Amino acid sequence: MSHTFNIYRHLISVNIRGQMQYRVSFLFDVLATALITALSFGSIALILQRFNNIAGWTVYELAFLFGMAETAFGTMDIIFSGFDPPYFGRRVRLGTFDQMLLRPVNLVVQVLGSQFILRRFGRIIQGSIILLISLTHLEIQWTAVKILMLPVVFISLVIFFGGLFIIGATLSFWTVESLEVVNIFTYGGTELMQYPMEIYPNLIRTFFTYILPAIFLLYYPTLYILDKPDPLGMPPFSPFLAPFVAVAVFIVAFAFWNYGLRFYQSTGS
Amino acid sequence: MRLFWELSKLAFQRQLTYRAATLAGLATNFFFGMLRASVLIALYHGQSEIAGMTITDAITFTGLTQAAIAFLSLFSWYEVMDSVYTGAVSSDMLKPMNYFNFWLAQDSGRAFASFLLRGLSIMIAYALLFDITVPQSADQWLAFILVLLLSWLVSFSWRFLVNLAAFWTPNALGIARLAFILSWFLSGFFMPLRFFPVWFVRLCYLTPFPYTINAVVEVYLGLVDGQALAAIILAQIAWILLLVLAGMIALRAGVRRLEILGG
Repeated sequence: MSHTFNIYRHLISVNIRGQMQYRVSFLFDVLATALITALSFGSIALILQRFNNIAGWTVYELAFLFGMAETAFGTMDIIFSGFDPPYFGRRVRLGTFDQMLLRPVNLVVQVLGSQFILRRFGRIIQGSIILLISLTHLEIQWTAVKILMLPVVFISLVIFFGGLFIIGATLSFWTVESLEVVNIFTYGGTELMQYPMEIYPNLIRTFFTYILPAIFLLYYPTLYILDKPDPLGMPPFSPFLAPFVAVAVFIVAFAFWNYGLRFYQSTGS
Repeated sequence: MRLFWELSKLAFQRQLTYRAATLAGLATNFFFGMLRASVLIALYHGQSEIAGMTITDAITFTGLTQAAIAFLSLFSWYEVMDSVYTGAVSSDMLKPMNYFNFWLAQDSGRAFASFLLRGLSIMIAYALLFDITVPQSADQWLAFILVLLLSWLVSFSWRFLVNLAAFWTPNALGIARLAFILSWFLSGFFMPLRFFPVWFVRLCYLTPFPYTINAVVEVYLGLVDGQALAAIILAQIAWILLLVLAGMIALRAGVRRLEILGG
């Protein structure tokens, strides 16, 4: 176990040193990643000067959704970037995944250690700043349950998004060509969760409630923390499902990964 | 000219080859379009018109911008940069053709194929599912097509310029990413620029980016005509000249210090 961990640590440190080689480019990269988050939220904030609110959500309430989703996705993206579907798909296409299969080291550890995108810290920092701005401006009636919910929701989101990355990566065992569609669930999922779920058409909401239950990860806990009424009329325990949904998605993802591995055929190139 | 045409045709065919990828891309663009439309509908909150745009215009806006992603390579285009890093640039420069035109030709084929496969088809899907705005007169269609064509030239000459950073640094990806991200927000891709405060719009119009997306959207929706339309077209032409000139100067300086890697 500690041997495996050492390998992981070693792979990551090699990765980080590699990224730091071109310092200027790295700096630009961090700046660029931070800018996406800052500008997307900045744009919404500017727009809301005209519109005041989205479906009754003020800019600081939206900032809570936005900051939480961004920080969690950024954290997941650093840990699981080896599974990032387009990146992993290329590995399968080029045949370098075969090398991993031949090494006497745990496969998941190798994939996790194969990429560690340091520039995503830009996203995490920006996301946390937005979350912090939100928390200082909202007058939340804090209770022990609500305080406990913050880290639980955050960790659940990281696990949930990580599961989606693993599912996306596994799909590349069958198709390496049409992976862009996975973005609907990964990047689309984050984008979706940055706004209150009641604004989406029924079809989309139903999908993200019953098939891929993203709605329980951020939207319902947020309703509870901000004491907002539930416009969708779901059961009262809905805000507390986040960790269970996250773990379930992760287990399914992992089972799918193992299933996919059995069918893996090298591209032969 | 013949060479230009052949290169363009090849790039066009290359784009047509990846059918599954096109379909996947379409599905993704459409899904994100739906999300963005939902946000706008929620923002309108039943109001029929905001800043001169009806809710139908706003929904059409999401379709147009999603349709533009592939056409203008809005998210990334690192082809020139890649060719510098793989060393392919050395043989490209030996070709009996101006280096800028060599890429312009290929991008024209790529853009046209993307326009048909991922632009037009998104708009057709939108037209089938939603009530959308359509230009009302032949004049308006003509103006739209002209502005669309010019928007591609603005976009290409800017993308070419950004890629030239590769001549100076062995890893220009960070710089290019930063440039692309700025362009999303300043071009009016994210939200129609007329929804923003005046100072922000002024800031955007100091850059060439609104002439790639926002101008096209406004002309298509019929929000500008007469003098304002003429001003847009003139500004587009001015930006194209300026960016091409900058590209030529940068290219000339860059070639002198180019070291071919790999090979």
